[in-house]
Amino acid sequence: MKKVIFIFLLIFLSTKINAKENLKNNILKNLRCLVCQGQTISDSNSDFAQIIKSVVDDKLQEGLKEKEIYHFLSEKYGSWILLNPPIKTNSYLLWFLPYILFILGGLFIYLMVKKRVIEKK
Amino acid sequence: MLSNIGIIFSSSALLSSLILIYFSIVELKISGDKISQKIYKFSLFKLIFSLSSFLTLIAGYVYSDFSINNVYENSHTSKPLFYKISGTWGNHEGSLLLWINILVLFSFLFLVLDKNKNKNFKLLTLIFQNLLISIFFIFLLSNSNPFAPVFPVPSEGNGLNPILQDPALAIHPPLLYIGFVGSSIYFSVALASLICKIDSRSLATTLKPWVSVSWFFQTLGILVGSIWAYYELGWGGFWFWDPVENSSLMPWLLMTALLHSVLVLERKMGLYSWVIVLSIMTFTMSVVGTFLVRSGILNSVHTFASDPNRGLFILSFLLVMVFSSIFIFFRYAPSENKNYKIFSKEFFILLNNWFMIFFLAVVLIGTLYPVFLDTLTGAQISVGPPYYNFILAPFLIPLLFLMTSGPKHRWISSDFKKIFDIILFLSIISFVIIFFFIKESNLLTNLILLFSIYLIIQTIFDFYGNLKNKNINLSRIISHFGFGLLIFFISINSILSLESNFNAKIGEKKNLGNYVINFKKLETAQIDNYKSVIGHFEILNKKKSTIENLKPEIRLYNKPETITYEASINSNLFSDTYLTMSNISDTNIFNIKFQKKPFMNFIWLSVILISLGGVLKFFKIKRQI
Repeated sequence: MKKVIFIFLLIFLSTKINAKENLKNNILKNLRCLVCQGQTISDSNSDFAQIIKSVVDDKLQEGLKEKEIYHFLSEKYGSWILLNPPIKTNSYLLWFLPYILFILGGLFIYLMVKKRVIEKK
Repeated sequence: MLSNIGIIFSSSALLSSLILIYFSIVELKISGDKISQKIYKFSLFKLIFSLSSFLTLIAGYVYSDFSINNVYENSHTSKPLFYKISGTWGNHEGSLLLWINILVLFSFLFLVLDKNKNKNFKLLTLIFQNLLISIFFIFLLSNSNPFAPVFPVPSEGNGLNPILQDPALAIHPPLLYIGFVGSSIYFSVALASLICKIDSRSLATTLKPWVSVSWFFQTLGILVGSIWAYYELGWGGFWFWDPVENSSLMPWLLMTALLHSVLVLERKMGLYSWVIVLSIMTFTMSVVGTFLVRSGILNSVHTFASDPNRGLFILSFLLVMVFSSIFIFFRYAPSENKNYKIFSKEFFILLNNWFMIFFLAVVLIGTLYPVFLDTLTGAQISVGPPYYNFILAPFLIPLLFLMTSGPKHRWISSDFKKIFDIILFLSIISFVIIFFFIKESNLLTNLILLFSIYLIIQTIFDFYGNLKNKNINLSRIISHFGFGLLIFFISINSILSLESNFNAKIGEKKNLGNYVINFKKLETAQIDNYKSVIGHFEILNKKKSTIENLKPEIRLYNKPETITYEASINSNLFSDTYLTMSNISDTNIFNIKFQKKPFMNFIWLSVILISLGGVLKFFKIKRQI
């Protein structure tokens, strides 16, 4: 058990040097290239992607946070550009339905097994 | 000329299939336990007609017969022979014909190979198969005729989308289709066994070989698709959670659930109705997959051919199929045999199914939600990789744990064994060692790593343990081992990947940590059906002082006119160096994307191991029979 605690401590204490480059790449991966067929900005070679890449670069230079950049871009291009849909009224179902289904499935199995164990007795 | 021959062949195949339905229905009422010779004969005719129609289309492509509209639209005389042939199924009409051919072939194999004694059960299965075949042939001939003529005959074709001119993509559709269409057999078998009240053991023995074969091909099909995406689409990723990729994953998840549930069914321990439901769902999902891809309602990298009319047809077909299945299910559903105990093996299989259905639900919701939202409210949102990763990744931990501990339990009942054992201890030690190399700060990633190591070590122990017993369940061990490795290497890969995006001119050098990238020169070349701009790059690894030379390309295809960006990949055992280059309009500056991707080959290998389990299972079943 001590070893387990030791490992968890290690995990929490260690921090990776987070370069700006990583943040930028992360942001680019979460943006859809609007002129392509289902590619991210990071993956795309189109002119549009090149422009967004430099916009993100500039915004990072200006000191904007990741969320602020997403906000800025979705104001300008609509939420279609965000591959990670923000939690809003129109996406509650999207975000919570999977968990509800998972719990329902578990409940179903629990009831089934419980019923059968009782029947056997 | 070929156009008419093709139409005659496919119409004859349709006719034989309709005749077969008639004969089978007549024979249902006749007593006796043998299927008559005429059914075998007409099944053979149907197979020959159907294969001939497919060969006719291939011939049309090989000889560039542009009087066939399909050839005119998708081929070109300057295309290499190999891609002329593979171009046959690189478009909607041709791929539909391939789909039908596999359906016909599978039905024939079922008739010849299935050893089930119950005549009516076999006949009913064949009736359902032939209904499917007829419907798809009617769809082919009325809406998507690959043999439709064009007049006047053009002298040259339009050519095939160059990114489809690739060996991996030549074999990708056939592999996937064998998986997709293979599931039609269990759809028909499920319905037939409901009506004939087949007992659970024979249902399981009938299903098992087909499930393992189609699962194997589906796995390989997905793998080949991913490898293609990795080197051809030029972004260095191999899974984008793209709607089209998702629609191949959804049937796979159901097949995986089925593969496990059949084991319970085989031991006469219930789940009869559930296996039936899974079988019906799997084929339904395969058709849904086809609907999503072909209708064009999805925005995807893979949308190469689409038309709303086709979508409408497939949608109505789907509705009829689902509702008649539901009707048959409730009309004939049997009562269940029940005996479960918590921590028995079958309980763990139920848990497996729970997770598979959950994954399916997430993928289905993520794929369809934006479509429904757009239709209902007009709001456009995107659901991409961040969504799937966020929801699915945490569930990998219990899944890996269940895959480790589940198989340790016996059938019917066994008591819960202690969790802390030598294997967990070894896993923690290995994890700590690996941790000192990767220094990952994300708790979730670390836990996934730890549990994948736990699964890997457990399966290695199982392998040695079972080797002594001779009672070896190699297929399970190899597939689970492969899955553990897959998750392990994907995690390590995502942690250790390096990526850098920068602009450069010819002659410039760029310093990136350990690497120096030297853009040496640019070269142009004229090859068969495209022009190419080739960049020469030298990548110096300062630590190891090694030099790699990479040559990414920008290609201008002439037929049809398309620009593609070819990544240059230097693939080593432990790490791939990945470079793409694109020009920035009206400048002499190039955008360069440099990536180091560790363990890519191990990721592919893990999936091959997973699929290998399916093959081993198939041969084990064959031996038992």
